[in-house]
Amino acid sequence: MRNLIYAEFKRNFRSLLLWTAIIVGLAGLMLIMFPAFEDVFSNIEDLLAAYPAEFLEVFGMGEGGLDMSNIYGWFGIEGYLFVTLIGGSYAAILGSSILSKEEDEHTIEFLLAKPISRTKILVGKCVVILLNLIIMNLVVSIILLIAFSVYGDLNIVVWLLYSFAPLLLQLYLAALALLASIFVTKSRKVISISLGLAIGLYVIMIISDLTDKAEFLKYITPYEYVNAKDIVTNHMIRPLYLGIALSVITVSVLTTWQLYKRKDITV
Amino acid sequence: MIKTTKLTKYYNKNARGILDVTLDIKKGEIFGFIGPNGAGKSTTVRTILNLIFPTSGKATVNGLDCVTDSVEIRDLVGYIPGEVHFYGDMIVSEFLEYAAKFTNRPYKKRQAELIEKLELDVSRKIEDLSLGNKKKVAIVQALQTSPKILILDEPTSGLDPLMQNTFFTIIKEEKKQGTTIFFSSHILKEVQEICDRVGIIKEGRLIQVETVEEIMQARAKRVRIKTSDTIKETDVFVDVIKNNGYMSFVYTGKINDLLQKLEKIDLQDLTITEPSLEEIFMHYYEREETK
Repeated sequence: MRNLIYAEFKRNFRSLLLWTAIIVGLAGLMLIMFPAFEDVFSNIEDLLAAYPAEFLEVFGMGEGGLDMSNIYGWFGIEGYLFVTLIGGSYAAILGSSILSKEEDEHTIEFLLAKPISRTKILVGKCVVILLNLIIMNLVVSIILLIAFSVYGDLNIVVWLLYSFAPLLLQLYLAALALLASIFVTKSRKVISISLGLAIGLYVIMIISDLTDKAEFLKYITPYEYVNAKDIVTNHMIRPLYLGIALSVITVSVLTTWQLYKRKDITV
Repeated sequence: MIKTTKLTKYYNKNARGILDVTLDIKKGEIFGFIGPNGAGKSTTVRTILNLIFPTSGKATVNGLDCVTDSVEIRDLVGYIPGEVHFYGDMIVSEFLEYAAKFTNRPYKKRQAELIEKLELDVSRKIEDLSLGNKKKVAIVQALQTSPKILILDEPTSGLDPLMQNTFFTIIKEEKKQGTTIFFSSHILKEVQEICDRVGIIKEGRLIQVETVEEIMQARAKRVRIKTSDTIKETDVFVDVIKNNGYMSFVYTGKINDLLQKLEKIDLQDLTITEPSLEEIFMHYYEREETK
């Protein structure tokens, strides 16, 4: 299995670099801009009062929300979106393509003729997903460590949450995408489904923020589970959200495993 | 060594699978599996390798069940797929290492031998290779770990005639080492050249299993005659093809009976030859259809 993990990691490394570079670039850019806005936002309360409450809610600046004059609040509003949305899209694409690509490109006929069980193939690929996402978030965590230390007083808990809470969201999306890829293996469709999942769930979060009637929706969108307001204000991911996310991940992976073990591979 | 019992794979109404295929391939033999495209050759192979699951029936390799002991089976088998699809971005040498390391058997020496014999350039990327070169990669990756069983699905397609000969030499050497070889093909000539026994598959059913000699000699002759007499189609003269005043047909009965019949007509020319396996194959096919 080590053989498979190594080859798979190598095969995905370039795309990991690219996606990480995009996230670090965009989040980093926002962090660098902080000093220029720091003073402006100290006096901004009056200005913000002019906006409707729903608008501010969407951006985490509603009542009891984030304070943009502080680096944690600033990142939560201006930079965190890139880590969650772009990181989530990457996770979904990775999760959905890692198995299906073998079928789409017919290499599965080679792989499944070798003495390796389908279970080990799946475990190996999941290890690579986990490894890639950890690396991506580790790189982000370094940038955040520097920024938080330079532009404010480093709060270890908030830093760690900002760095690794997105991992929960990414794993959630990757697991669902992995499950979907059992049914759809054509690469173009796979990409559409992944992005649909990553962006669709984000839109659901926005809707749940906008109107009280749709508040129940926040339980089904992983973006809400790791929202910046909870991280900065409460220093936590809510246990209920954590529980839902871990259950979804576990059930998706186990279902994928059961289906994959019995699947006819028609190439 | 490879045994299937009433092996059946049913896809759906549109895609025909295989029906009641019963085969018994002995240790150390080269078994040819022939039939046109779509007859069920690849389906049989893929069921044995457990890429797909049988609808009913059973397949075993060396006594191991193809569904429950699949990993053990695949440790015994080297497989050359019909269409070669490998990881395009890998360098050939890197890919061969990857392929070899799924087993714990030594492979370096055999790998080097095969690369030399097939004149394979291992420094190139797989996606840059021609079809023939990809096929060579497929051959090396299947044979390098010296498996006890080889399953070859149309292994020569894409190889030039010289390389086909090299490949047949390699396969004959494998047989000398005691390797069991399952050779699926739609090219009868190559099956005729290297196989001990032949199974003919048509529309998902196995219609005949015989040794190549049995098929070639005991059963049928190609008879070509020139005569001014008019000939009625009888037991002897079946499926007569007329061409340039010559008439030709495949005869499968007793030679004496044939001679008695021929005596009664005014012969200007006569040749009796071994028919090609292709002709016999068509003969079996037609007979199946009239049944």
